Amino acid sequence: MKNSSLKTKYVAPILGLVFFLAVWQFISGFYNPVIVPSPIETWRSFLTLAVSGLLWEHGRQTIVRGFAGFGLAVLAGTSLGFLIGLNRTAASLFQPLVVVLQVTPLISWLLLAMIWIGFTKVPLFIVFVTTLPLIITNTIQGIKNVDLQLLQMADVFRVDKIRIIREVYFPQVSPYLFAGLAAALGTTWKAVAMAELLSVNQGVGAGMAVARTNLETATLFAWTFFLIILGLLTDRLLSYLARQKLNQWM
Amino acid sequence: MIPLEYISFNHVYKSFGQTRVLDDFSFSVPAGKIICLIGPSGCGKTTILNLLTGLEQPDRGSISGTANLRISCVFQEPRLLPWKTVSENISFVLQDLTIPQQQELIDLYLKNMSLYEYRNSYPKHLSGGMKQRLAICRAFAFPHDLLLLDEPFKSLDVLLRMELVQQVAGMWGEHPRTIVFVTHDILDALLLGHFILVLSAKPTTTLDTLEINIPLGERDIAVEPFPAYYNHILTLLEGRASKSKRGQA
Repeated sequence: MKNSSLKTKYVAPILGLVFFLAVWQFISGFYNPVIVPSPIETWRSFLTLAVSGLLWEHGRQTIVRGFAGFGLAVLAGTSLGFLIGLNRTAASLFQPLVVVLQVTPLISWLLLAMIWIGFTKVPLFIVFVTTLPLIITNTIQGIKNVDLQLLQMADVFRVDKIRIIREVYFPQVSPYLFAGLAAALGTTWKAVAMAELLSVNQGVGAGMAVARTNLETATLFAWTFFLIILGLLTDRLLSYLARQKLNQWM
Repeated sequence: MIPLEYISFNHVYKSFGQTRVLDDFSFSVPAGKIICLIGPSGCGKTTILNLLTGLEQPDRGSISGTANLRISCVFQEPRLLPWKTVSENISFVLQDLTIPQQQELIDLYLKNMSLYEYRNSYPKHLSGGMKQRLAICRAFAFPHDLLLLDEPFKSLDVLLRMELVQQVAGMWGEHPRTIVFVTHDILDALLLGHFILVLSAKPTTTLDTLEINIPLGERDIAVEPFPAYYNHILTLLEGRASKSKRGQA
């Protein structure tokens, strides 16, 4: 039993990764490195970026912008989600706007942001508008599923409204909120890189733009892997925090 | 302590959709006593409690004697907050008290219900009976003038049930307050009730009101007048049930 869980947890993913690298190496043998660089060439480019300091310089900018946009979206999204979930008037007022946020093409936001707020703040803004609806909708979903019997209990014991929101609603909304945060975090790194590519000259997206211009496909792959690793690490961190928070009582 | 005299339902009507639950329902009982509502399952006992708590409003008629009362309640289900420990579940409803006052009450009632050693555990680690006992602790700890008990012993085994009946009687003895106790168990009603209201099936009417003047701690249900009361209530409930069956036939 222990062996089998060990296999599922560690051995299988490593085997999957080895298989992926082998297939990639095999395919790259048929193409020019400008089209498909090999894993070894990609690794070399990654090391070059790391040694030159570019990886940290650009990476740091991306991480700061990503987290800033994500953090603002968490604050605004959770508050708006609670407001819409708890208040019918607010729901009528804001819910259509949330749908507008969801369906507006990202490129429109990008171009509008360049006009409205200047190039440097575009990545942060893009992360904010793309992740905000995810957090709002998940929070609303959580509020809809709150146990009415617990609310009645709190009502009978005349617990004040602020405490009910903090101690009855919030813990029940948390699993939904964590699901929303995971989805939003996944979107964050994709959105920030795309916005950087089109609007600024610092950040992973900007590094990718330079690599594209110079036809340095291996460097492009290296930046892509940096974003993937960033996404995986932050996702694992969030899962860990969610487990710490929820496992105690769930 | 707010001075109370009577808690009354005055010609109360309550329907849910097409179902008439209360139809010109009235009763009046003195405050400071234990009032048992006994009747067949689904006769509207919980609706009466919900009307008392204010969770439901009557369609017509009025309820008097409950305005400005601090109401505490044990629901049919424990209704505990799973993310709070045993102690925190009680302190959640004690917001108007200072921390030392809260702690004193929590310790007192947890010890009374033999839950003290579980004070830092989460509800998921408690059995069904322990959860219900915790819900009773919470209701007793909450400063109240009126306590509503909605079949709180339903899911418990006989021994625990008898123990809890004695504990409720003991707690009432220490702090006499109005308790409205909904049950479908005649023995529980005889052991705890100063007044027993025997209710009919829906739409609910009062078939009879019994007043028992024997002190709670001195009741022996094997000795008269309890067997007579038991048979009388049973006859009322069975008579109503068979009438209702005949009606259906």
